[in-house]
Amino acid sequence: MRGDVMTTIIENQQNAVTTSASEKAWRRRKKRKDLLKEIGGHVLVFVVGLFFLIPFLWMVSTSLKVDQDVFRNPPTWIPRANATVNIDGEDYNLYDVVINGETRQLAYLERSGSDGVFIDPAEPEMEILAPMADATEVLEVNFAWENYPNALNRSTRTGLGVNFMTYFKNSLIISIFAVIGTLLSCAPVAYAFARIKFPGRDGFFLLVLSTMMLPFQVTMIPMYLLFNETLGWGDTFLPLIIPCFFANAYDVFLLRQFFRTIPEEMCDAARVDGASEFAIFSKIVLPLSVPVLATIAVFTFLWAWNDFLGPLLFLTSPQNFTMALGLQDFQGQHIVSWNLLMAASVLFTVPIIIAFFFAQKTFIQGIKLTGSKE
Amino acid sequence: MAESTIEKKSGRKEKAPRSRLEKRNTLLGMLFISPWIIGFIAFTLYPMVMSLFYSFTEYHARRASEWVGLQNYIAMFHDDLYWTSLGNTLYMVVISVPVLLFFSFVCAVLLNLKIKGQSLYRVIYFLPSIVPTVASTLLWLWMLNPQTGMVNSALSVFGIDGPNWFQDPYWSKPALILLGLWGVGGTIIIYLSGLQDVPTALLEAAELDGANWFQRLRHITMPMVSPITLFNLITGVIAMFQYFSQAYVFGAAASTSENALGAPLSSTLFYSVYLYQRGISYLDIGVASAMAWVLFFIILGCTFLLLKVSDKFTYYAG
Repeated sequence: MRGDVMTTIIENQQNAVTTSASEKAWRRRKKRKDLLKEIGGHVLVFVVGLFFLIPFLWMVSTSLKVDQDVFRNPPTWIPRANATVNIDGEDYNLYDVVINGETRQLAYLERSGSDGVFIDPAEPEMEILAPMADATEVLEVNFAWENYPNALNRSTRTGLGVNFMTYFKNSLIISIFAVIGTLLSCAPVAYAFARIKFPGRDGFFLLVLSTMMLPFQVTMIPMYLLFNETLGWGDTFLPLIIPCFFANAYDVFLLRQFFRTIPEEMCDAARVDGASEFAIFSKIVLPLSVPVLATIAVFTFLWAWNDFLGPLLFLTSPQNFTMALGLQDFQGQHIVSWNLLMAASVLFTVPIIIAFFFAQKTFIQGIKLTGSKE
Repeated sequence: MAESTIEKKSGRKEKAPRSRLEKRNTLLGMLFISPWIIGFIAFTLYPMVMSLFYSFTEYHARRASEWVGLQNYIAMFHDDLYWTSLGNTLYMVVISVPVLLFFSFVCAVLLNLKIKGQSLYRVIYFLPSIVPTVASTLLWLWMLNPQTGMVNSALSVFGIDGPNWFQDPYWSKPALILLGLWGVGGTIIIYLSGLQDVPTALLEAAELDGANWFQRLRHITMPMVSPITLFNLITGVIAMFQYFSQAYVFGAAASTSENALGAPLSSTLFYSVYLYQRGISYLDIGVASAMAWVLFFIILGCTFLLLKVSDKFTYYAG
């Protein structure tokens, strides 16, 4: 088998040397084959890519539609709204109306039975009666940007004065404190595991790693009772923020692995110069670890921003809802405003997308290191 | 380092400074890891002990009032809904996890083709996975809306009468799998980095030997990334046993009354959803705690089993 291939290659080479015409033909064939491969590859990657792209675009498209445009069948990609005409200071919708086989663009006034009352914008005095079946709305491209402020300001629970702006703010507060807490608590713990030799260190570290195995469900109910009943922190942000200030296994592990790559000699030199352990940690090790700290900050933010179960457990009054909880709650009320809901979803996603484009490398690195996005 | 130099130089006096250093290090070490120790005791050890304790007691009027032995476990195993939730979860573990893994592997292979513009494609494939879970779930609820959703509208163009998706007990789980497929970006990236580590020399040698593209994929690439497959499989199974948010949002959308989780007809009542319902909605602390511990052992068992049988299909190059 291998010999055959080798001989054909050698033959090919010989042929190439002897006849330049066949060499050209061979090169053309190869070029054509490569081109076909490239095109085929593009088609495949693109078609599968549509599966990822279309829902995303649909979310943005829906978020920019006016109410009447949302449920159009068949669905349309470009948001449209009724074209209007202003007659005597009032807006009327325009219709294409077929009258005696001739299509005229008329302003719609009101309905009368199965007929519609129209007027010609050119001569507003005369009312024209035509069957609605002969009239079709005139639509024009219209991006309803006002959906975004409307979504933020729209009251999501009647009478409570809450809106998505409230939820957005709550999510931001919780996520920022989660990041601060995680960085402050995980760094020293990881430093001790990486650089301070104390008895029982390996045992403790094993314990840290083993807590990763524990599913949240096991501790969920006692935590719920502890925070809500014993500590009386129910319906506050505290149950979501405070645990972040006490280190978690994932980030401790990640940081410890990174700290170990920092040359020990640097720390020893500082020790000889009489630097305290805390000075070594804060003045040498931390500044060198900015990239990994940034990774942890981004991922903690992502996790806290995304979290649904935590807020569901501890936040009960709508004033304290996070974005995730508020969106679900709004949908759960079966108020069908998909355009506003999608606008709110886009707003919920935007901070993450911005973070992604600013820290693409960090994102990819983090996923490879931790093996998950959450 | 520091310890050994002291030992050599001070000879007989070694005991005193060493123990002083050790004492200092112990103190420092404990000080530095104290956040974790406090957190571990308060938010892991204490809840674990309490959870185990609750699982053997009857919880009434805001306190564990009575030791009932294995009663909670027995009640749990006699509960039809418990088995429904376990069955639903196993459905997802057995079907969804392999489908997700296969799809992300295929995507990673596509993104690893030598064509122009791959960095743009990679962003497109990855972007959905960073959309927050609740937002992506709501988006798919909208896409899969039986009457007005774009999926069924698109199907009707081809003359196909689309299913009722999340409103139909037979289609609610496939709908969730579809939603899962959309967010596989993270797994794709892990696979992609694995694919990039496959030595090109191996692939070229196989090409010279006459192996076609598929044969190279099947007999070289797949064995080379099998440790990554194992990793993705284990993390996928563990995550699927704890599957909650998407199912909760789906169930709430399909139900007509509040607090009716798992709609339609308990088809999205997964283990963690039912545990939440028993423990938090009904405050049935004892049974929910028992459920949590059984879940823990199921996950441990599955992980152990996967690691055991993985020897046969995993290849470690290193």
